[in-house]
Amino acid sequence: MFDAQPHLSDEDLILAADGEAPSLQALRVRAHLAVCPRCRKILLQLERASADFARAHRETFTPHIPSGQGPRALLRARLAEIAQSSRPAFWPSLRQRTPSLGWAAVAAIAVTGIALGSLVFHRNPSSENTPQAAWPEAGLVPNRDLTPGATRPVSLAQVCSAPHEEVVKEVSPSQRASVFEEYGIRESNAEDYEVDYLIAPGLGGTDDIHNLWPEPYRAGTWDAHVKDALEERLHQMVCAHQLDLQTAQRAIASDWISAYKKYFATDRPQFVAAVPQSPLLLSRRTTVRAG
Amino acid sequence: MRLFEEFREPLLRYGLSLGIDVHDAEEVVQETFLALFQHLRQGRSRKNLRGWIFRVTHNLALKRCYAIKALRARTEPGELMVQEPPDPGPTPEQQFSDWQRRRQLLAVVQALPQTDQNCLRLRAEGLRYREIAAVLGVSLGTVSMSLARSFSRLIRADGR
Repeated sequence: MFDAQPHLSDEDLILAADGEAPSLQALRVRAHLAVCPRCRKILLQLERASADFARAHRETFTPHIPSGQGPRALLRARLAEIAQSSRPAFWPSLRQRTPSLGWAAVAAIAVTGIALGSLVFHRNPSSENTPQAAWPEAGLVPNRDLTPGATRPVSLAQVCSAPHEEVVKEVSPSQRASVFEEYGIRESNAEDYEVDYLIAPGLGGTDDIHNLWPEPYRAGTWDAHVKDALEERLHQMVCAHQLDLQTAQRAIASDWISAYKKYFATDRPQFVAAVPQSPLLLSRRTTVRAG
Repeated sequence: MRLFEEFREPLLRYGLSLGIDVHDAEEVVQETFLALFQHLRQGRSRKNLRGWIFRVTHNLALKRCYAIKALRARTEPGELMVQEPPDPGPTPEQQFSDWQRRRQLLAVVQALPQTDQNCLRLRAEGLRYREIAAVLGVSLGTVSMSLARSFSRLIRADGR
């Protein structure tokens, strides 16, 4: 667009304007701009384009951002959950990497770090995890890579009227073993989990392994009963034509806790014992307790 | 939590700009900070945390995009829509004009190569070039060339 010589290139100008140019180059740019109206004009255009885009970017997406109060509370709860619970998927790997570390020390590390600002650091120089690999381990929500959710072609009428026996299948022992293997859960720890459907059969979920995950029995506040209540709520909304089936499937597959907060309009689980459960949705009945 | 307060909104904007909806973007940010918690607890580097945080969000958001596409492929096409920029609705003339111009500008950006788009978005969120390079896994030279190319395109499109 612009001559590279003897004038400055757009890249030189952008680097200098952003304070990213090496000092000598920045001096050269400054000296050139002092005597070149053409490059000053181009710099002005570049700066305007930059400012225009930054403003458009903010004005387009910022209005979609809701209040941070709920997410802040959820993150606090999740961090506390991680810090305070003994998480089987975490402990074996930590113990394997640090065989000399006793359980007491491991537990001490876990319960100490409740908030980011009060962390106890335990250096593990052998670890080669990248940020991408630092995925939250098995817990309140499934690993999305392993359990993205799977559905079968199903009509609204089928979802809302099919008998329980037609939509629910028992998870086979081999499937259960495969799920535990995927999540790196030892057989000795398997009894702490049940294999649950991510997308409930009553919402069109299948028994494909991509729709099965090990749900901890001791999950704290957001346990399987709360998820059952969400499944019931989504089923009611779908059958009342308040929510389309695919949206319900996606909501529960992407993050069932956030979906619960959204569709119950609350940041905390309600008293789930009072929630009537449709036989279509009792995915927990279909799971097999290991051990 | 201080980092969460500081970065939640920029990370959400970046996630939304990548094409996931606000529900997914919120969860991506949660996962990012859970990963950060593990990262710090395991005594890993605290250098360039802003770049690290954006990098994790970038990776998780892309994974989310792939998961959404996979789910969409198994359900009815067209059911999973990417969030659109907000429509201002009935507004004064100037506001409507600004909205139109913003849409045109974003349309130009959306026609750029993906790396160029992401460089622009990360720069708009205040990241330095070395941070952008780390997030996207490209060289510093690529970042500066990409930005220069993109801004030139925006200037041409605007007829200035």
